[in-house]
Amino acid sequence: MKKLSFYALWLCMATGLTSYAQETAVVDGSSVFGDLTARQIGPALMSGRVNDLEIHPTNNKIVYLGAGGGGVWKSNDGGATFIPIFDDYIQSIGTVTLDPNDPDKTIYVGTGETWTRNSVSYGNGLYKTTDGGSNWQKIGLENSERIASIVVNPENSNEIYVAAMGALWGDNEERGVFKSTDGGQTWEKVLYVNPRTGCADLLMDPRNPSVLYASMWEFRRTGWSFDSGGENSALYKSIDGGKTWDKIHNGFPSGKLGRMGIAIAKSNPDILYTVIEAEQKKDKGLYRSKDLGASWEQMNNDFEITVRPFYFSRLVVDPRNENVIYKGGLRGSVSKDGGKTFKGLGNMHSDVHDMVFSNMHSDIMFFATDGGVYRSWNGGTTCEIVENLPLSQFYQISVDNATPYNIYGGLQDNGSWYGPSASPGGIQARDWNSLGQGDGFRVLKHNTKNIVYSEMQGAENVWRIDQDNKQVKTIQPLPVEGHDKLRFNWNAPMALSASVPDRIYMGSQYLHKSDDMGASWQIISPDLTTNDPAKQDQDNSGGLSKDNSGAENHTTIFTIAESDLDENIIWVGTDDGNVQVTQDAGKTWTNTVANIPGLPANTWCYHIELSTLEKGTAYAVFDGHTANDKTPYAYKTDDFGKTWKSIITGGVEGVVRNIQVDYENPDLLFLGTELGLFITMDGGAQWYKYTNNMPAVAVHFIALQKQTNDLVLGTHGRGVIIIDDISPLRELTAENMGKKLHFFNAKPTIIDEEASFSGSFGAETQFVGYNETTAAQIKYHLKKRHTFGKMSMLILDAKGDTISELGPGKTKGINIVNWNYSMKQPKVAKGKTFSFGGFTTPTLPAGEYTVRITKGKEVFEHPLVLAYDPKSIISSSDRKSKQEAVMMMYNMIESLAYDVYCVDAYLTYANDKKSRKLISKLDALKQTMVITSGDNYVGSSEPQLREKMTNLFQRVENNPGAPTPNELENLSQIQKRYTATKTALSSLEKKYKLAKRAVVKSKEQYLKK
Amino acid sequence: MRNNQIFLMAIFLVVAQFTFAQTKEEIIANYIENTGGADAWNNLQGLKMTAKLSQGGMEIPIEMLQLKDGRQMTKITFQGKEIKQGVFDGKKLWSHNFMTMEAEESDAEATANFKLDANDFPNPFLDYEKKGYTIELMGKETIQGEETFKLKLVQEPKMVEGQEEESVSYYFFDTENFVPIAMQSEIQSGPAKGVIAETSFSDYQEVEGLYFPFSMSQGEKDKPGQPITFTTIEVNPSFEDGDFAFPEKK
Repeated sequence: MKKLSFYALWLCMATGLTSYAQETAVVDGSSVFGDLTARQIGPALMSGRVNDLEIHPTNNKIVYLGAGGGGVWKSNDGGATFIPIFDDYIQSIGTVTLDPNDPDKTIYVGTGETWTRNSVSYGNGLYKTTDGGSNWQKIGLENSERIASIVVNPENSNEIYVAAMGALWGDNEERGVFKSTDGGQTWEKVLYVNPRTGCADLLMDPRNPSVLYASMWEFRRTGWSFDSGGENSALYKSIDGGKTWDKIHNGFPSGKLGRMGIAIAKSNPDILYTVIEAEQKKDKGLYRSKDLGASWEQMNNDFEITVRPFYFSRLVVDPRNENVIYKGGLRGSVSKDGGKTFKGLGNMHSDVHDMVFSNMHSDIMFFATDGGVYRSWNGGTTCEIVENLPLSQFYQISVDNATPYNIYGGLQDNGSWYGPSASPGGIQARDWNSLGQGDGFRVLKHNTKNIVYSEMQGAENVWRIDQDNKQVKTIQPLPVEGHDKLRFNWNAPMALSASVPDRIYMGSQYLHKSDDMGASWQIISPDLTTNDPAKQDQDNSGGLSKDNSGAENHTTIFTIAESDLDENIIWVGTDDGNVQVTQDAGKTWTNTVANIPGLPANTWCYHIELSTLEKGTAYAVFDGHTANDKTPYAYKTDDFGKTWKSIITGGVEGVVRNIQVDYENPDLLFLGTELGLFITMDGGAQWYKYTNNMPAVAVHFIALQKQTNDLVLGTHGRGVIIIDDISPLRELTAENMGKKLHFFNAKPTIIDEEASFSGSFGAETQFVGYNETTAAQIKYHLKKRHTFGKMSMLILDAKGDTISELGPGKTKGINIVNWNYSMKQPKVAKGKTFSFGGFTTPTLPAGEYTVRITKGKEVFEHPLVLAYDPKSIISSSDRKSKQEAVMMMYNMIESLAYDVYCVDAYLTYANDKKSRKLISKLDALKQTMVITSGDNYVGSSEPQLREKMTNLFQRVENNPGAPTPNELENLSQIQKRYTATKTALSSLEKKYKLAKRAVVKSKEQYLKK
Repeated sequence: MRNNQIFLMAIFLVVAQFTFAQTKEEIIANYIENTGGADAWNNLQGLKMTAKLSQGGMEIPIEMLQLKDGRQMTKITFQGKEIKQGVFDGKKLWSHNFMTMEAEESDAEATANFKLDANDFPNPFLDYEKKGYTIELMGKETIQGEETFKLKLVQEPKMVEGQEEESVSYYFFDTENFVPIAMQSEIQSGPAKGVIAETSFSDYQEVEGLYFPFSMSQGEKDKPGQPITFTTIEVNPSFEDGDFAFPEKK
């Protein structure tokens, strides 16, 4: 009995574990979403924050970068362009390090950004590849949160040291210096101080791998403060491979220390530099040791050397000159005299975090900034930006209703912008337009006027931009009598109203409402926050270096939403965890947060999304990471917050930043987390991670464009990512997914009759975002991948005739096949060269078509409708004229092709008969029908009938509307010439009885498609 | 009680063993066997494939010829004129220039690399050990919704701008039928260097006892590919030696 019960218990535990594991495991949605693939559109012109750079030790073409929120990228062309190599993993990167013994294949990535600003994300451990980045393995330090350095022993690849900085927002013990002696399989913590102190920098003496230097840093953030420094910050040295460590502070200032960067001169490793954050201003700055750290001397404490140590404590010594030292900073600076004096670097984006030297020459350098990577050929005096790094870090995005629609949004340290969702030749740098300065956050387009609102940090400025009249006005709510000092979040909320176009809301601790586009403001709430004074002492934030930028402002409103269904219903979420609702336009407010089960008190309410179908329905997401809580929280209420239900049933990872509910199917929800996008089609019972060309990047904001059903993601590290037309997801019911093949319903495809020039001059090394296709899309779901047997797809016209044959998608899940609704090119006469006009494929007319998929013996059909744009300026009679002219020419071209074929056949006959006279007559005729000499470029011969026909055919087909009178005149001339040709041919045929004597196919046979 | 634990542990181990039992050798052996058998593949002397490529609505007839000795070519017909691309006559790799329509040799490095693939007909997995290739089972991965075995294939190193680079590709074998449904490899040269190219395979059909994918889609990983469906696949086709020869300039 006892045995049995133990057995039962064991089974129960095992099953329990399994089911728990299934519930929480992230499910990759690629098997469901199939071809529903995202497109990344940048922007890259302002790029984004880069944390770390790494250069190959011998191959000057190879450069790596680790971005603050955009993953790991590699350049194979000396930094001209980069490609991402770490998209499946967390995108917040601390450091990238190559094994010096195997730099082509073995790469380590320490995740978690180390420049610990308020908006910094977090990592989840150490990764390794041994094949140059094709396959990655996580090799530990899962809870280190951020990794500052990795050092591989140049004499023994198995010996690795890692500087684990550790958690920023709470205590944790997985920090300090870790050592592995087996290539990363196991780790030993060799230097640890306490749960608040991590390793911020780690070096190895290049002559002696047993000699290590480690800078330990005591630091902590909360949602409302930052504290750098303490008794436990120190610089340590080990001379026995990390077994024992000693502080090396001889010459250091007394008192508490903060963050310290360290550097060693490769050309003379006796020389060390450190930049010290100290208690006294006079003691801060650069220190130098000439004796391996035994003693130190202060060299410099200029502004650039001491500014914001948590953000800029990076020192790099020229590997060829011990006296040349670069320091990260607001602008960055360089010393050529061993640190005595410094000068600023040349123009590049501010906030310089890292720099590396090319192995070819010290003048060739790369710099990592808040605005991407810069190359320099003269040591940082002149800098040029790398143009293909779409690392932009959006805090928020929104869309308008233009065609194509525009995307608006604000970026970390890179202002506010808008750009189109499509542009001729792809979305290029020049397509993006600036809408503000400083850090950008919410950017909203007025619903009816050509006016945009944007803002900078802490609502220091809120701009109303009249785009038609080029008027920019600041409209932020200013302090007024009878109210406390206004507290705005760094990322201050702003919202518009669907009911009153001129209305705008702003949130401080109060809700401000304006019905005249921000000219006058009314406070329509009491303080909606906890108003906890303990969280309002930003004046004393920063620790050893005061840092009151406004980034830590707290007890503020963070999200505002007015119901599309009733303007009196307004929801507000605060950064200190309140969820307030009014149903009477602000007269009375109810804090509903107490009704939310399982949510820790004061968890940051990051976003509230309201249903567009039910008045009482709202969704709220919460981000606990600033309280060291990375649990995903998302809730739904159907009764104005009286009751809330968690909609996270497992399968979601990362703190939640945003939620979007579909406008039609309330069970279709999109969740943006720190690790990507998650989608549910059943109200949250099952979540899928969306991975189709979607990196595991933090999704800070999601918009759903109503006309196109495009899901637009504002990511914090990879710019704007769009999933075109998510409407098939509305039909992904269990029933439809269970069918062998399910066609998704589609709106009629609008035939694209527009044209413009793309002129992509200068875009060779630029990032260019893909456009949405203008082709008709055939979308269907397959229950199982098609691997064996035949599967084909035909397009039939209304008569049932086949007009196109397409390669169908075979993937399990959603398949999308593009069809460019044209008929195939005409059969063109064979000449010496190509007639390029003959490659034209005429667009088919609007109407009803049928898609027929044949899979083995089964046939599946679905209608497909082509329609003209109702807003088009082209009349239907013009379209008819064009269609007739094009088809007339199409047939004429094929007819000529047959004639030339006959002439060639007659020539064969004449040659056989050695009839010189006939050969000469046929040759002469052929030379008027088609080009018979020259090449396809400047060696081209005089165009003949074929070329004239196909050129006009192409011209008329590509021009919009009816053929012009001039085109018709030209056509008439060609027709006359063709008639003459035909007469000449006919007379030769008669005279020599060619049709009977030569071997020729009939016209029908020849043209058989 | 202890016995129970051991028993359960044993079951667990057996199940685990069973799940991971497929070795790389078995996967390849199954693949070769299920698609016709080693003898049939080894007896195959050549293949001729025809297809109608669809490019922006244009229909382009193409014909591909591959021989056991490594010779191959692709013939494209535009407006009745034949343009040859990627022709390898055993020594020279050449293509027609689209402007002059005359033959031009590929650069020496491309030709040398191409020669290395001459022993890969009909596919690199056949007698891969004899060719000096190595394969590694990387585990299971889902591709196009299908569970697959991911196999890493390392072939002869290639020269890229004067530097020797390892030649690696990943094949994804359907766990049900053991045929590859996708292949990925890193583009090794040119401006797209480092980008992952992906080819997917489907519509496996039998031709004289051998199974071929009649449909392929080629492109960049995670981006829509260009599909190509073969109308015919002919085994041991007839050909003229002159088809491959580099034409002397007129």
